[in-house]
Amino acid sequence: MSVHLIEAQLLNGVALGSILALVALGLTITFGLLGFVNFAHGAFFMVGAYAGWVVYTKTDSFFAGIATAIVFTFVLGAVIERVLIRFYYDRPKEDQILVTFGLGIVLVESVRAIFGGKTQLVQTPAWGASVVQVADLFYPQYRLEVVGIVAITLVTLWLILFKTRIGLIVRAGIDDALIVNILGINVHRTFLLVFALGVAVAGLSGVIDAPILAVYPDMGTGVLVQSFVVVVIGGVGSFSGAIVGGIVAGEIISLTTAFAPDYGQVMLYVAMALVLILRPQGLLGVEGRA
Amino acid sequence: MKLGPVGDRSGLWVEGAVALFLIAFPTIVAFLNAGTDLATRILILGLFGLGVDLIFGFTGLLSFGQAAFYGSGGFITGYLLIHNIVSNSLAALALGTLAAAFFGLVIGALALRQTGVYFAMLTLAFGELFYFLDLSPLRNFTGSENGMPGVPKPVVPLGFTTLDFTSSMGTYIFVAILYFIGFVIARRIVRSPFGAVLRAIFENPERAAAVGHSVPRYKLVVFTIAAAYGGLAGGLLGMFQGYMPYEALSIDQSGEIIVMTVIGGPGTLIGPLIGAAVWTYLRQELQNIDAIAGIWKLILGLVFVLLITGFRRGIVGAILALTHRWKSES
Repeated sequence: MSVHLIEAQLLNGVALGSILALVALGLTITFGLLGFVNFAHGAFFMVGAYAGWVVYTKTDSFFAGIATAIVFTFVLGAVIERVLIRFYYDRPKEDQILVTFGLGIVLVESVRAIFGGKTQLVQTPAWGASVVQVADLFYPQYRLEVVGIVAITLVTLWLILFKTRIGLIVRAGIDDALIVNILGINVHRTFLLVFALGVAVAGLSGVIDAPILAVYPDMGTGVLVQSFVVVVIGGVGSFSGAIVGGIVAGEIISLTTAFAPDYGQVMLYVAMALVLILRPQGLLGVEGRA
Repeated sequence: MKLGPVGDRSGLWVEGAVALFLIAFPTIVAFLNAGTDLATRILILGLFGLGVDLIFGFTGLLSFGQAAFYGSGGFITGYLLIHNIVSNSLAALALGTLAAAFFGLVIGALALRQTGVYFAMLTLAFGELFYFLDLSPLRNFTGSENGMPGVPKPVVPLGFTTLDFTSSMGTYIFVAILYFIGFVIARRIVRSPFGAVLRAIFENPERAAAVGHSVPRYKLVVFTIAAAYGGLAGGLLGMFQGYMPYEALSIDQSGEIIVMTVIGGPGTLIGPLIGAAVWTYLRQELQNIDAIAGIWKLILGLVFVLLITGFRRGIVGAILALTHRWKSES
């Protein structure tokens, strides 16, 4: 086992982990703030990747692809919230899971009907196509840039949720929607915003992962499950937990794959089981939050 | 299905109706221009769904990892038969079922530490664990993406004679008998005091705990029973197809059995069978229509979303609500 391989896998773990963290954060936003788990989150990830890919191949600009993915999934999320999701806020959690699961099927199958089931390779954008030297290792530039994009997004989201008036209303609405309504604030508009924001985060994750993962209709399934694991490891409803959980999950997959390729995925779930047994609230979760 | 009071031994007509239906079912599918194999497939899914209904429809536990038991039961049963470790089909099924129940016990002990959304997420993740175990570390046993070919059709040696269920109709009869036994046991369970506690947990877990029931233990037992149903159905799937597919362990499989249960009507026991029939038949029919062959799953997905939104109790629930209204009017 060469040192280079381990170094490369460590960096791969960070790149993979940062994307998982972002996906898990999108999940946590809708979940922690609306109490609503979105089982279609992986499907939105996939829709974002396809939207970005279509525009990227047409315009040759990956930035245009990223912007399209964010805007398209945000609007799609807002529309779906209005026509479907809003009727589910007062229904049992099981119904919310079922309807978003069904929504996921509809999204995946719609994309399959439009674009076919084929895996489409997505070219790494020109600004990320070269390799950079990290210590004595040559590493694909794009993967490091992914980490940068994720970091910027995380900071932006944190500022929106914790430093703006909107974020304040959102958090107040979670605590007591009735009182916030009485104070003359339209809570439902805020819910719409939060849901669409969570979806757009999934869409963004999808498009930046597309050059690494390639695009295909079922690409979101694995990501959805892994982001669940991230949420369990990191701690439910915790902003920092999603980030820590993401990196931990990414490293577990990458490093295990280096030493025992067969167990790369399996080890992730073993780690999840261990966290559950030893620290059920997650690494950074607060007891009783669940 | 309106459940009788606990201990009520009347209402054997339901078992009778199911038995009659099982006898008539091959004729019904023949009338629909489908082969007996379609009926067999539906019964296998209906059996799988009985377990899902016990945990979801009666106890309120939504598990997205049931494929773990369906697949593991199927692979273990198949392995025992293919390698001639066990030659009696029933014995192999029993061992596969026991193994699946054991996995259910272990996964349940972990996943049931959480409730609601977290429980669903955890079961989904554990389902994936089994899927990946099958694909890579255990590939020498399971054949990874090639699946496990050569699972023999059901044969039951009785010593003095050997019952042969290897024909298409024979396999149907074999599956139908086991489905009937499974159905009767499930109905006994939900009508027993144990089942009453399950419904109490569904309605109000805090209150069930407050009156002295060990809610975690009840949940774990019913989860284990559901896993056993999954394992038995998986074993039958391998025998019926002569082949155990790795997809039996996939998330799609876990999702589909839930979708079938919800379409048919959760909390009715017969619902999963109806849902499996609708899903399996429509899938086959829609795939035969050229214009929409590629979008059959999209159509069924839309139907599912509409059903969840409008008819939460599924097909059976809607029918029961209609007959109830009709009865109260007359």
